[in-house]
Amino acid sequence: MAAGTLYTYPENWRAFKAQIAAQYSGARLKVASSPPAFTFGQTNRSPAFLSNFPLGKVPAYQGDDGFCLFESNAIAHYLSNDALRGSTPQARAQVLQWVSFADSEIIPPASAWVFPTLGIMQFNKQATEQAKEEVKRVLAVLNQHLNTCTFLVGERVSLADITVVCSLLWLYKQVLEPAFRQPYPNVNRWFVTCINQPQFKAVLGEVKLCEKMAQFDAKKFAENQPKKETPLKKEKAGKEAGKQQPQQQQEKKEKEKKKEEKKPAPPAEEMDECEAALASEPKTKDPFAHLPKSSFVLDEFKRKYSNEDTLTVAIPHFWENFDREGYSIWYSEYRFPEELTMTFMSCNLITGMFQRLDKLRKNAFASVILFGMNNSSSISGIWVFRGQDLAFTLSEDWQIDYESYSWRKLDVDSDECKTMVKEYFAWEGEFKHVGKPFSQGKIFKKACATEDAHAKVLNFFGSSELLPENKKVVYQRRASRSACAPGGATSPV
Amino acid sequence: MALRELSSLEKFVGLKRQKKISTQGERKVPVLQNNNGSSLIGLVTISSHLVSEAKKTELLGESVEQRAVVQQWLEYRLTRLDNCSQDEVNIILTELNEYLVDKVYLAGNSITLADALMYYGIHHIISELAVQQKEKYLNVTRWFDHIQHYPGVRHHLPPVIVLRNRVYQSNQH
Repeated sequence: MAAGTLYTYPENWRAFKAQIAAQYSGARLKVASSPPAFTFGQTNRSPAFLSNFPLGKVPAYQGDDGFCLFESNAIAHYLSNDALRGSTPQARAQVLQWVSFADSEIIPPASAWVFPTLGIMQFNKQATEQAKEEVKRVLAVLNQHLNTCTFLVGERVSLADITVVCSLLWLYKQVLEPAFRQPYPNVNRWFVTCINQPQFKAVLGEVKLCEKMAQFDAKKFAENQPKKETPLKKEKAGKEAGKQQPQQQQEKKEKEKKKEEKKPAPPAEEMDECEAALASEPKTKDPFAHLPKSSFVLDEFKRKYSNEDTLTVAIPHFWENFDREGYSIWYSEYRFPEELTMTFMSCNLITGMFQRLDKLRKNAFASVILFGMNNSSSISGIWVFRGQDLAFTLSEDWQIDYESYSWRKLDVDSDECKTMVKEYFAWEGEFKHVGKPFSQGKIFKKACATEDAHAKVLNFFGSSELLPENKKVVYQRRASRSACAPGGATSPV
Repeated sequence: MALRELSSLEKFVGLKRQKKISTQGERKVPVLQNNNGSSLIGLVTISSHLVSEAKKTELLGESVEQRAVVQQWLEYRLTRLDNCSQDEVNIILTELNEYLVDKVYLAGNSITLADALMYYGIHHIISELAVQQKEKYLNVTRWFDHIQHYPGVRHHLPPVIVLRNRVYQSNQH
């Protein structure tokens, strides 16, 4: 029987998996989650810890015999007994199936939805709405399976139930209010039964199901901003967010939300790292410093574009506020469409360009679209730049890609311009000038992509797992609408 | 019938020594003869006694509430399920199916004597259901399948085959 120590910060759902498994198997597990045994942010950065666990992440397990493991699923597997792991080859494979399902299908949307409500990630309406839809899909799959089954695999609780319950824990605590979870009676029955098993209860305590969907916690988020805080402090704030009485929290959030609606952008929270970095650079470096001040606030438009309906809110806002003296609108087209082969490679081409133009983000906005399919595609886009000239010549960093494109300044008053702005911003329309169907769009906007933020948040949570590779692609695709993803190239999965 | 059921229950709760149980009267009411000469009469009385003797009182319910619900289903078993007519069968199945929508076990979140005795009592009904009816009473079927797979419960009864894939999609709710 395994015996050892689990290093984690308190209330870590990934560690719960191992702790519950140990409850079932009788493995002797000591949990080191508080000083002096373990101080998150210190112990896990010490050379001794890193030599055993090179990632420096928790949960991490060290057996009394010196055996070391990282990755929460591996630890939970190791601490299980055969009944939990599955007693037949089929059952073992099914357990693995649900464990993977939890990681790749539940965790990404659950995080995207729940993290903003805990104030540890910026709220993005589209990302949240998308995550809700994803969660619905996942719950429907589970609900269908649990129609005829009491537990996920076989007729007893297995590692599959432990893992999936822990993955759904934050959803059920924070956002799955009765009306939202009502269509999934089988999932609810199974979840409630599991969390009330003595072995679950010993680890989770009394789990209070969400009564009212939590909303974005702007105040917490502002507090959690990394600017002057040490990682340790951040962690504490995160924990507090988790521990707070749900009702109090919700009331507060409700107020927060109302405030938000009136005044959509408290400046503190709008500054992402990239902007902060830009702001801290010496002013002389600003390539646009020579231009007179403009009345058009690009950031304001970007916010509208991210969080509100494009056709009815963002585009009207754009035309109402657009300053033709201070800004110009350009049509760009990739000059070598015959060289475009696989669509994912073409997408990399676009996102790669966006990355290299990172510092231009403050002064530009673009929607670039890939049309057509593999081996028959084209790339074109609409760019809005500060000033009247192409911005690329202003900095050496920006000159890598732009010559591969043809650039044409649009007459702001022309119908052509109006139509193109509408079609490219909304990603829908006839696209008469192209002659190929819409494939994918990318938005050049803000540096802090959802995916990137996601990785940051996961890191900050001290998790042992990042998004699986295939999920990154999906996230990038989704994130690209709300925020251009600078991190990582799209890969063919 | 009641005798075999009680003997299975003895094994389920882990009692080694077989008790002297016989039946009396036309309705074959079980009677347990204790060593000291006293006797206990009736299915529920005897099974509760066996559970207590085996020190498995958690099977009678751990909280006040759970104990009450266990008693409710033991009473249901005697007054509604046993000797019910064919018409009543459908009513019982509908009631149970409705009750089990949001429950895995009849009382609380763990198996109790209520699950065991209801399982023994309803076995002959479930084993005669057509596939289509099993799908219609989906929650009952799922509960039944879970209980019959619970270690140590089934014993004298043959397993009932339960399809996991639903054949009659029209019954889907």
